[in-house]
Amino acid sequence: MSSTKEKYDQISPSEFFYRNRDLAGFSNPTRSLYTAVREFVENGLDACDQRGILPDIRLTIKAVDPEKPDPKQYILTVKDNGPGIESKHIPLAFGTVLYGSKFGLKQARGMFGLGATMAILYGQITTNKPVTVKSSTDAQISNEYELLLDIQKNKPVVLKHKTKEVAKKGLSVSIFLEGDYSKAGSKIRDYVYQTSLITPYASITFEDPKGEKYQYPRMINTMPKPPTVIRPHPYGTDVETIRRMMVESQFEIPTIDDMMIEKVRKDLGLSKKNLSFTAIMDKARKRWKTLSRQVRVVIALMSFLKMDFEKLNKIRIEDLDVPNKKLFYWDFSDSQSKSIDMDPESQYYKQLTNTVQGETLTAFLTKKFQRVGPTTAVKFAKFAGFKPEKRLGTMTNQELAKLSESLQKYDDFMGPDPSCLAPLGEEPLEKGMKKFFEPDFLTVIQRSASAYSGFPFVVEMGIAYGGNISTRGIKVYRFANRIPLLYDEGSDVVLKVVNDIDWSRYKAKGDPPLVIVSHICSTRIPYKTAGKENVADRQEIERELKLCIQFMARKLSVFMNKRGQAEAAKKRANLYAKYVPLIAQFCTELAGKKKEPNYQKILQEEKSIESEQKILQEEKPIENE
Amino acid sequence: MSKTSESKAKALSKKTLEKQKNILEMLKSHGAKIYDDLDNGLFPKFSIPSRSVSNIVYDKKLRQYILGNSSALRSSKNTSQLRSFTQLMWLAFFANRLTTEKKSSTLRDIYYSSQAFEIDFEDQGESDNIIVDLEAVTTRPREDFHIFPEERSSIFGDLNIEYTIPGYEGKTMNLSNHPDGYAIGPSLTTAELVDTSAEIVIAIEKGGLFTRFVEEQVDKKFKSIIINTGGQAPRSTRTLLKRLHDEMKLPVIILTDGDVYGEHIAMVIKSGSANAAHLRELTVPDAKWVGVWATDIEKYKLPTIPMTESDIKRCYDLQKDPRYLDGIWKKELEVFLRLKRKAELEAFSKYGLTNITDKYLPQKLELAKSL
Repeated sequence: MSSTKEKYDQISPSEFFYRNRDLAGFSNPTRSLYTAVREFVENGLDACDQRGILPDIRLTIKAVDPEKPDPKQYILTVKDNGPGIESKHIPLAFGTVLYGSKFGLKQARGMFGLGATMAILYGQITTNKPVTVKSSTDAQISNEYELLLDIQKNKPVVLKHKTKEVAKKGLSVSIFLEGDYSKAGSKIRDYVYQTSLITPYASITFEDPKGEKYQYPRMINTMPKPPTVIRPHPYGTDVETIRRMMVESQFEIPTIDDMMIEKVRKDLGLSKKNLSFTAIMDKARKRWKTLSRQVRVVIALMSFLKMDFEKLNKIRIEDLDVPNKKLFYWDFSDSQSKSIDMDPESQYYKQLTNTVQGETLTAFLTKKFQRVGPTTAVKFAKFAGFKPEKRLGTMTNQELAKLSESLQKYDDFMGPDPSCLAPLGEEPLEKGMKKFFEPDFLTVIQRSASAYSGFPFVVEMGIAYGGNISTRGIKVYRFANRIPLLYDEGSDVVLKVVNDIDWSRYKAKGDPPLVIVSHICSTRIPYKTAGKENVADRQEIERELKLCIQFMARKLSVFMNKRGQAEAAKKRANLYAKYVPLIAQFCTELAGKKKEPNYQKILQEEKSIESEQKILQEEKPIENE
Repeated sequence: MSKTSESKAKALSKKTLEKQKNILEMLKSHGAKIYDDLDNGLFPKFSIPSRSVSNIVYDKKLRQYILGNSSALRSSKNTSQLRSFTQLMWLAFFANRLTTEKKSSTLRDIYYSSQAFEIDFEDQGESDNIIVDLEAVTTRPREDFHIFPEERSSIFGDLNIEYTIPGYEGKTMNLSNHPDGYAIGPSLTTAELVDTSAEIVIAIEKGGLFTRFVEEQVDKKFKSIIINTGGQAPRSTRTLLKRLHDEMKLPVIILTDGDVYGEHIAMVIKSGSANAAHLRELTVPDAKWVGVWATDIEKYKLPTIPMTESDIKRCYDLQKDPRYLDGIWKKELEVFLRLKRKAELEAFSKYGLTNITDKYLPQKLELAKSL
């Protein structure tokens, strides 16, 4: 499981976010309560998704003092059955801002785990109470922490830490925060309802401050395939991204400390022996092919310094000045900076410059991007006007800009790899919608992956009609990366496409009891606003949505036609049954007869036609069954 | 009552019975056909002469509108026709009972009676329409089936009648005995017309003027029978006018308001309406409209009021009607359109309450002889 092990890195201080908490959705007690719920629930679902665990999420909101009027203090607890977080990571994960594990390009509900930390920060600011984290990674021991954030230092303060025996894996986070449930309640309930619709493999329960329990049991037991982390596509990058990727690709001159020297000695097979400078160089030449890059760099440095291990231990490399062919170092023995010239003819010189100047353009492109092989890389270099062996470290800012621009312009890259996406899939979506709405008609579709500006995306949709749907008019549930989009629906691309359709053409006239579920998955959803509630009308996405809806609407109209015929037949039979006996009664007296004519014959004939149509109906009561 | 009139009444009565028998037989044959269809496992159907505008044509010889040759099939299999089919069947059934039992009914009464038989008419308009259907299928006016409109027209004058309705058979009545006049209802319409001293029938549009005429003894002064049509003359009144003309050999003159609607009231008495194009016994082609004409407005300097938009539109509409293409009909329409003003019968009150009976009427009666 090493490939799915999350990396933890510390990126930036919490001070900045404390000052900009409005941006993260913590502007007032109503919004903050809702945002906090979202962040914790989504973190829980993400954690389970990534490990292929069927999620079991329990959300509880309790008022600290129920008698007080809103806004007031609440305790928000979200418990999941995910993999948990290792004890040693907990203080940093929950007690610093921008400490997260969601890097790389793959579809996930949230980004960087930043939101959860923001919620904790907001809770601490408004109540001055610590966050309680309980985590078990082995279903035996639970590590329970009480933490505060030191905002200035961006460091966790552990107030309590104890362990406890437990029977289940999972994470439970509990915070105190200032909130307004009377205003945020309907939003939170909508959120939980819609989340369970798009996550039919999850069991979600919500206990609200009034003690009301909302339970959404698991509807299916299969999980969609988890997304894989992939390299970015050339179309989806900008200058900044490239600069960041370049920094990662450049090899730094390793710090030559005791540990490093120990490693070099070991690799040269000289752990115990103390050899002279020339003897070490001889040994290195013989073993060169087996040596790692780091060790080679140290050897190269030693070749110019003309030092053995003992001397090497007393200096620190300061700078490698490639243009002037000089090597600067700090000598601890006489506490001064010294420099030596490097011979450019030396084989070691090339080793050093290559290290500092980074990879060649072609190597960089093939290693760092998806859909770029060696041939494509060479072709692209030619297109962009660079030598294929151009070293990235030697690029000027203008050249970088040109590279970035060319990456966008080059037409021959293959479309982005959608394996980083995790749509729900047709079957789970259909099952979920069926249990949710128990409709008379249901159809779903998942389009194959497409891309906009280098970002892959997949659209999946479902339409349900009639049955238990009690709403009148078309109700659209919008989701992006399995997150419900609850607000700002007016300006959303999905609504635009739905409203552009002439539904009467598909026999859905007036205010039909119709539900549309739309799910857009992408490594980057093009939101219109910072609120992340509405998707922008990118042409490529709009097209896919339109194709989905048209496909499903055609099926709906077939269903409506059949249903119309069956209804008409039934109506006709009812009319005959009502009027024909009357006609018989009247004409009997008119004709001066005593006995009524035998009109049963025509009634029965009609019935047989009707039942034929009924059989037709029963064969296919629901599309896609 | 003289012996000759008595025998005449008996002969007429026989004629009435004959007519009734024919109607009952016709209804029976329709019923039998539908009975047989049902018994044979067929959805019954019949054809109805089409009453759409395109099928209404003016017959110059008959001097009235009649229906053309096109007809529509009404089938009980067609669910959009099933309901009206059943309604028509019920009406035939109900008309059969009325005729057999010699009971009368009104349009409104038909509408309410239907409810006892689970026949749902949405409103009286719908039942009235089905009654017209029955008329069209049988080519008999509803009065033959003992279905009458609400009474609103009346008659006054020296006319002896003999009732034929159950309970009153043989009873006679002189229609000058009651100064309010007699309502023209089923019993009067079906009564035998025995004899009269009158020499002319004056049909007048308005109840107010009718009362004035009675008060001024127009019946005696001009040896006339006065009939109040109550606006557009109902069918029963037109039937009575026709019988007075045909059976009693009395000329008929018509007095209306001096406007385009009055002109058309006279025309309908004379040559029928498009609405009743399916019936042919409702017209008095020899009836004469004597006033108030548009030219009278100028001639008598009558007080007027301006014509409304709809009055003017009506003028233009009537100009397209073939009956308005010649004679006074054409001329008066043109004058109305020129004047753009209209006058009521009451306008003569300007010259005194009795001016209309003392001056105007004698002049018009004289004029009528030459029309």
